[in-house]
Amino acid sequence: MYGQVLLILTKSVNRCFEKNPKFDMAPLLGGTDVVFRSLIHACSWNPATFLHAYTCLPLAQATRQAASAALQDIADSGVLFALLMCDHKVISLVGLQNATLHPDDILLLANFILSSESFRTSESFSPICLPRYSPMAYLYAYVHFFDENTYLTLLTPRSDAFYDLKDSRARIQDVLLKSNVLLEVQRSLHENVLRVEDVPIDLSSQFTSAPAQSSQGLNSQPLSSDEAIGGPAGLWHFIYKSVYLDQYVSSEFALPIRNPKQQKRLYKAYQKVYASMHDKATGPHRTQFRKDEDYVMFSWITQDFELYAAFSPLADKTQAIRICNRVCQWIMDLQDRVFIHGESTIAWQYHHCWGDV
Amino acid sequence: MGLSSAAEIDGAQLCIFDLRRGQQEGQELDKILFFHPADCPILLQLSVIGLCEGIITFTRIFSPEDDCEVIESDKHCHVFYQAEPDIWMVLVVQKIKDNESTLRFGALQGILKESHSLFAMFHGPIRTLLDRQPSAEFARGHLHTFITDYLSDFSVGKKLQLPTYRDSLTERGTVQMLTVSREVALEVQSLTTVLGSCLRNVICQSVVLFEDLLVSTTLPMDDTLNLYTYAILRLTPSALSSNGNSWSYLRKGGYVNADTTLSSANGAASAERYNSRSRDTSPGGQNQMHHNFRPLQREKLSKGKDGFVAADFVTTEIRGAVPLNPILWFHQAEERMYLCVYQHKNLTILLVIPASSLINGEEGIAHVKRHLLENASQNIVTVEQKLSRGWGGENAYHVGGYRYILSDPNRKVSRASPPGKVITLSKDSLLALNRLRGEIDLEKSRAKRSDPTHDKDYEVCIRAKNNAWIIAKISRGKELYMAIEKGGETLLYASTAVEKFSNRYCEGAFSTD
Repeated sequence: MYGQVLLILTKSVNRCFEKNPKFDMAPLLGGTDVVFRSLIHACSWNPATFLHAYTCLPLAQATRQAASAALQDIADSGVLFALLMCDHKVISLVGLQNATLHPDDILLLANFILSSESFRTSESFSPICLPRYSPMAYLYAYVHFFDENTYLTLLTPRSDAFYDLKDSRARIQDVLLKSNVLLEVQRSLHENVLRVEDVPIDLSSQFTSAPAQSSQGLNSQPLSSDEAIGGPAGLWHFIYKSVYLDQYVSSEFALPIRNPKQQKRLYKAYQKVYASMHDKATGPHRTQFRKDEDYVMFSWITQDFELYAAFSPLADKTQAIRICNRVCQWIMDLQDRVFIHGESTIAWQYHHCWGDV
Repeated sequence: MGLSSAAEIDGAQLCIFDLRRGQQEGQELDKILFFHPADCPILLQLSVIGLCEGIITFTRIFSPEDDCEVIESDKHCHVFYQAEPDIWMVLVVQKIKDNESTLRFGALQGILKESHSLFAMFHGPIRTLLDRQPSAEFARGHLHTFITDYLSDFSVGKKLQLPTYRDSLTERGTVQMLTVSREVALEVQSLTTVLGSCLRNVICQSVVLFEDLLVSTTLPMDDTLNLYTYAILRLTPSALSSNGNSWSYLRKGGYVNADTTLSSANGAASAERYNSRSRDTSPGGQNQMHHNFRPLQREKLSKGKDGFVAADFVTTEIRGAVPLNPILWFHQAEERMYLCVYQHKNLTILLVIPASSLINGEEGIAHVKRHLLENASQNIVTVEQKLSRGWGGENAYHVGGYRYILSDPNRKVSRASPPGKVITLSKDSLLALNRLRGEIDLEKSRAKRSDPTHDKDYEVCIRAKNNAWIIAKISRGKELYMAIEKGGETLLYASTAVEKFSNRYCEGAFSTD
């Protein structure tokens, strides 16, 4: 929430309070209540709010590369960052050499753009601040929606760059249309989802470098009728975060937890587990198993990835552990589609030390 | 604002206030019933209490039925407990940056609950004292001496050393019971019967302890708990042996770390035979005793040559005056009772006599004592011998490879690894365990608010960064917390370890069917 305030006002607003303790900040935030409401609501459905990672729209590698190539075209135009987004998911992200974009900044920026109707109706040029990148200074965001979901954001330090960026956008749009990226994006929105029912349980796809949590027996037992609603072993949902890439991917919700109230409850449970695993004094823990009346939850943290998985409360522990292994293997198999790797960005510099989260 | 004022005081503060008092402007001081430290400037006290009152009022808007329990700020933790209607106790604890003293709200609230329960046992409910004397002089006086004496157990220099992560395998508000064989149980029952008949025509109640463990009780559980708590604080052999020194001993793992030999000073202090614990506010000479009545004052308690533990609360000026009526108030039994404490070696007997049945208190007690010595001595010696023979020592409840605490809050019973074994756990394990217990405290609180009639089952198993397994399991109201440091690598190993422990020591209470 504080970050969202900074995005709108920058941290320089503190100087106003230093000069005058009775300074009223509210008028400066006029008309932004929808932005904050949207962010509060995001805590009920968007794992990025606690994972500090962003998620990508699953795309074929060729499509992704085409999108990145289109964005790289503007490398010399003074743009600091170029983001091609579909709702809250990243299609492609390009940063100028040595410039890095924190996932929290992506979350706040996307929230700001998507909750403000004015960005959708026409191309816009707005001062914004990226709290993690540079909390004291404004950047300028050129935003243009290609369709209902897909939008381009070009971030620049230049306040007079609107027309240059307008031209850049036109060139990018041209390339995206010609390479069918926008069509593929629309198709992906409706087709490419990770369903828990699709988690492969075939033994032949054993993942060799999974954490040492293998079950004792790999005998497949018949699933109960409860477990059959959802994925194997009663898997209802999972979130997989690539530590190295600061990206996550999450599944669709299984049938038993399809309604918003249940999903909100699940996210609260995830947040508790995440906080427990990452507590400053004691963490990060390696593994956690948690069972109550609502769920059986597993979480693993390794150097490479974090997994959070929710099962039916009746799930068998042995089978659930096996399925968690399968999920990890499955995501590794799909990684070219679900993650953006370094070759898709120009001079992408990964920094692991994001500072205090 | 209050929070910044509280930050100016070093260390913890404990305050007790009555929201029904001091509501008129200019009379705010009247709501303060107790404040520690006592030398805290009055304006600061008002500031702290004003903040607490504000928080209580604010939270009542959103949750009128449920009490505010804890407020965490950047530098402080405020723990609330509504001891009686509109009488609140608040503990304000300063957070330390290095995270060593990771606070657990349940442990801190346990201190408030325990101190209030004990106070009410000796002095009756605070509200009753206030109703009888609206000026609150007695209430404040008793609270000042009692709570100060209670807090002396936590004092290190001028500061309070409150429970930290090192106490994560302890549980206030429960008794620890001694498991005895059937043969010994029969002997104990026989002893209880004899003790029960120490007063003709009236059944006396009794609580029997061996070392610091409960052997038997004929009282309801809440009253047993209060008496047991008092006994292990001040009356058992280990408590008495530390009473001889003028400074308080640090608690290690919830137990008093005391020298086991009796101080020679005890013999001299045993001149007076008082089993008196008065809460009677009737006028006259008895009132003179009140400011001296300090049942938690260590130096006053000692065991006499006749085996009875006595307290010397009388000043030399009035020695020999008519002693007070010794009364404890037992909430659950709804009776006033005399307390008579007898000790033989490691066996402590708390004999509780209905006050209504002794017309002449002091003579009646002397008679009871004579009857006990004449008729119960043999039983006492036999029971003590048999218990000593079967006693496994302080590590009796140690289970190799496990560091645990098993708790049944409904029955108010717990059992834990001995403190000497708990301290072998690494700091990382203890911190993780403490943090997990804190989470579970919050979950239990939430579950109780949403459905007070139903116990929610819960299980958490964590592999910490030091590879220890930290486990919590709540099943049908019973709780098990455990740390296993030298164990296998897999979650299934940890689950199997819990099952084995549960089947062997908990009658399968935590086993999965």
